[in-house]
Amino acid sequence: METPETRRGGASSADNSAAATDNTAAADDTAAADDTAADDTAAADNSAATDNAAADNSAASSDDPVANLIAATTDTVKLTVWASEEDQTLTTQLLEDFKAAYPDVTFDITLGSESESTAKDTILADVEAAADVFAFADDQINELVQAGALQPVAATYTYDVASANVAGSVEAATVNDTLYAYPMTADNGYFMFYDASVFSDEDVKSLDKMVEVAEAAGKKIAMDVSNGWYIYAFFQGAGYELTLNDDGSNNCTWNADGATDVAQAIMDLYGTNVLVDMSDEEMATAIAEGTIAAAVNGTWRAETASDAWGENYSATKLPTFNVAGKECQMSSYSGYKLIGVNPYSANIGWSMLLAEFLTNEAAQTARFEARGLGPANVAAASSDAVQADPAIAALAAQAAYATPQRVGGNFWAPAETLGQILADGSAGSDLQSVLDTAVEGIMAPIE
Amino acid sequence: MKNKKKFSGNYFKEFGTAIAKGDIGVKLSLLVMGAGYIARKQIINGLIMIALEAVFIVTCVFYAAPNLAKFGTLGTVQFEQVFDPLTLTSKVNDYDNSFLILLNSIISLCIIAAFIFVYIANIKAVYRLQQQKEAGKHINTFREDIRALFNEKFHITLLSLPCLGIILMNIIPILVLVAVAFTNYDQQHMPPSALFTWVGWKNFKQLFTNSTTLTFGYSFGKILIWTLEWAVLSTLTTFIGGILMAQFINSKKTKLPKLWRTLFMVAIAVPQFVTLLLVRNFFADSGIVNTICSNIGLTDFLKSMGLVSSNLTYIPFLTNPTWAKVMIVLINIWVGVPYQMLIATGVLMNIPVDQLESARIDGANSFQIFWKITMPYVLFITGPSLITDFVRNINNFNVIYLLTQDVYVTSDQLLANSNAKEVDLLVTWLFRLTNEYYNYKIASVIGIIVFIICAGFTLVTFTQTIKGSREEDFR
Amino acid sequence: MKKTVGFVVRHLVLTLLVVIWLVPILWLVVTSFSAYKGINTAHFFPEKWSLDNYKVLFLQPDSVVQYGAWFKNTLLIAIFTCIVSTSFVLMVSYTMSCLRFKGRKGLMSFGIVLNMFPGVLSMIAVYFVMKSLGLTNSHLGMIIVYSAGSGLGYLITKGFMDTISTSLREAAWLEGASEATIFFRIIIPLSQPIIVYTIINSFLVPWGDFVLAKLMLNSGIATDWTIAIGLFNMLGKSLINKYFSIFCAGGVIVSIPISALFVLMQKFYVEGVTGGSVKG
Repeated sequence: METPETRRGGASSADNSAAATDNTAAADDTAAADDTAADDTAAADNSAATDNAAADNSAASSDDPVANLIAATTDTVKLTVWASEEDQTLTTQLLEDFKAAYPDVTFDITLGSESESTAKDTILADVEAAADVFAFADDQINELVQAGALQPVAATYTYDVASANVAGSVEAATVNDTLYAYPMTADNGYFMFYDASVFSDEDVKSLDKMVEVAEAAGKKIAMDVSNGWYIYAFFQGAGYELTLNDDGSNNCTWNADGATDVAQAIMDLYGTNVLVDMSDEEMATAIAEGTIAAAVNGTWRAETASDAWGENYSATKLPTFNVAGKECQMSSYSGYKLIGVNPYSANIGWSMLLAEFLTNEAAQTARFEARGLGPANVAAASSDAVQADPAIAALAAQAAYATPQRVGGNFWAPAETLGQILADGSAGSDLQSVLDTAVEGIMAPIE
Repeated sequence: MKNKKKFSGNYFKEFGTAIAKGDIGVKLSLLVMGAGYIARKQIINGLIMIALEAVFIVTCVFYAAPNLAKFGTLGTVQFEQVFDPLTLTSKVNDYDNSFLILLNSIISLCIIAAFIFVYIANIKAVYRLQQQKEAGKHINTFREDIRALFNEKFHITLLSLPCLGIILMNIIPILVLVAVAFTNYDQQHMPPSALFTWVGWKNFKQLFTNSTTLTFGYSFGKILIWTLEWAVLSTLTTFIGGILMAQFINSKKTKLPKLWRTLFMVAIAVPQFVTLLLVRNFFADSGIVNTICSNIGLTDFLKSMGLVSSNLTYIPFLTNPTWAKVMIVLINIWVGVPYQMLIATGVLMNIPVDQLESARIDGANSFQIFWKITMPYVLFITGPSLITDFVRNINNFNVIYLLTQDVYVTSDQLLANSNAKEVDLLVTWLFRLTNEYYNYKIASVIGIIVFIICAGFTLVTFTQTIKGSREEDFR
Repeated sequence: MKKTVGFVVRHLVLTLLVVIWLVPILWLVVTSFSAYKGINTAHFFPEKWSLDNYKVLFLQPDSVVQYGAWFKNTLLIAIFTCIVSTSFVLMVSYTMSCLRFKGRKGLMSFGIVLNMFPGVLSMIAVYFVMKSLGLTNSHLGMIIVYSAGSGLGYLITKGFMDTISTSLREAAWLEGASEATIFFRIIIPLSQPIIVYTIINSFLVPWGDFVLAKLMLNSGIATDWTIAIGLFNMLGKSLINKYFSIFCAGGVIVSIPISALFVLMQKFYVEGVTGGSVKG
């Protein structure tokens, strides 16, 4: 399959005529015109093809999509962009850069704020009214794709999304072998940060050891186990599975033989009252007040922790925990923030170019510099500054045990309750039936 | 019921008579609505009617017909899009949006129904004109017709705008949602990208049968019971609390009643959603109240009493089912009592003094007076608003949602399996089903049931007021 | 002696109640002056006081806080909602109370039953009705959404009008006044208390609603929001720890116009409610 759709121009093609000559097209461009699936390997092949074809400088401008688009654009291009509240300043700057990159086109870009974690709720209420380009967290991708709220990344123009970003982020942005979004950050998963004045490097390897140390120090460790996102770490870590079926329902083995040991382990750990079940917001306050010496959470709380613990702030992968005498490494969900394009956009071409612009190497570097968000872009992530960030290093260490989030909507409520009753000890003694009920809810059919 | 039959019988009989006995003008009106008026020289009326008919026909052809044609299937053409990577444009097919088809069809049906109503009224009106002419009576000029709209037909003038608003904001949405209860509109079938269609009574059956994996029936029962408990508790507590507080403050023995009243009023000056969100953080598991409770040893005391589970280090004000239910009722008292006090103050000021005096002379103490005279009087006066409050509490979305959303995690696995929580009211449950799980079909079924319950309560209590001659009593 | 004890106990109880009622409000006020932006769970009173939160509200709007714009939007929407709602309620109440026509009682029952439908559910349909009229993300749309159905809430006002003596209307009628004249010259002036009640109630709606507003104003542009959406947004997961004290300051400010309204109209309010309830 020859799909030479990728154009390798400058990351920001400030000079359009230059971009047009650089971006020479392979001869069989048109053949691929109706192929809307982006295939990783094809994209890679294709970039090679483009490079080869670069020798042929005679390509007419009509073969260059971006030039075509600029030529075809006569009216003002109206776009709406949604970025999170915290990202507004940076995005405003990036939008200015984007306008400057295409000086021949008049843009009217409106920037709205919509948190990445709730983007789905707003978008699905009315897809047609949603922004043309929006940021969202990768856990929402299944539902967004199912609702037809994401334009497939059928072709890339200013950089190759699939090869420029880390494999995990591309996988997270891919549903059924189709790439649906542009990776923006690679730091939305969870790991552990701790106060090094309480725990040694050796202590943080095992959760049971940590509990011991923390108890002695009169501190607590926080992990929001009454939340499907975090309880997954235990069951997946112990080797029980949770996967997504094609129809949006789940497949789950959390009630298989021996799974009660995992449940028992969670009960025992939380029964100590040293490991505590706390929501994200409560954790932030508790960290600031010094009652907590270690927490399983994400980069969004790293700042709170480093403010509270100063130079003792350290971050690492998740610890192991003891399941019926066996040490199991806790797993996790890897998390990415992605940028999507609305298929109902009136300016789909410009939306795609803008999405690329907001996620290219320069933008990801800027995002790290301004807000400390870990880049998904390989080149941006390899800079010394990024490598030196403890939270990002911890995420990298955890990456080996992390899986992308592929789970249907029926998972959350039953898993949340499972975590809740295990953590507060109200699950009773018949753990098998507790797990059976939970799995029944998780695997409930979707009709 | 009998009356209604008679009424509708008469309605169509008059119409039939009009057609049968009408002259050429009336009969022509069947086709051209203004004809009858023009025949009686009411040119402007006639032109208005012709214009109305023309507008209606245009609406039918270009709006109603295309939508109603697809009403049976709710659309068949799925959204498809072809992206051309060379020109960066995408071609979208002419797809059907099931929801818009449903909505537009219902609006069309409303328009058609309204037109039929006007149409029949028109025939009758022109027949009446004919009769007046035959009897040699005066026929109104246009100006006189307009004047009538501010006099004997003033109710039409006054009601038209409010009714239009109600049709737009209440009737059409309700009809749409009633229709959705009979479709498979859920996350698997979400317009505009997917189509949904009619499924008959399936959703109702699903709600009332407990299959092994779907626990909607179980959750529905539990939530319904709590909804009713809550409605009774919250209505009674705030009502009685308000009266007691008003009584207490109004008493002659209390100094500076105005000051006290104003102090309580401060609590309602802050909008409800602000206070509720605030209170939620106030009573959070690691919130300020818990800090104070544990500092003064209350947490440990409650633990030793067995009221707080021994493995907790905090009081689960809003996170344990029982605690949360009690707290929600208490917080609602906090929010609602000053309001009720305000109302009760007014009522108590109007209490017939002579009755109180004579009771006092008979030697009744203040408690007896309160229960025997004050309470019955207050109940008599505020009875109807009590029912309104009750229904409002059944649908009290704000208090429950703002206090428990994102904070409360259910520990009942069966409830969790249908996305419900112990503290949910039917409305908050259906809000979550639509807003987070896009399960519009089940939410609509629940909505219809809530509606039937509320409507039942109100009709039973209000028919008294509406039916009776009480309207005239105090004039 | 017994009297003094009773007096003291009575006032002690009142004081205790006032304390219970005012502690959360006090917490709101003191937190709004806190220099710490998150939720202070260890101390009731802030450790460091500051006026920064109010400064952010009015002088330094950022991407999250656009208080001035929200306040303006909400006030605008509230004023017009108030005008339209009050007129609609009065029109319907007068018709139902004073005029007699075919189908009146049927319409009344129908209206009461209709008013029982949970608004939360029909919200999505309301949204699409407004969208097809092109009125989402507009203040006009919000005003329509809040006020169009208000005619259904006629019950209490109608009850009040029922108490106005028929003889007044008959006298006017004999002097040749039209129904319209009676409505404007006699009934409206006499209904002053209940009008105030209606005004307050309808004015408060836009200040407290965030569910419908959030659905209707979905452009994501913060300056379009109403106060309720804006303040609710500040308590979102990612923002609460940076904006809680600003939320409190916003809550304090928003209660100022409302309390002013309450204080000004308190007298009428009490009369209005009870007058209407007498006959329900």
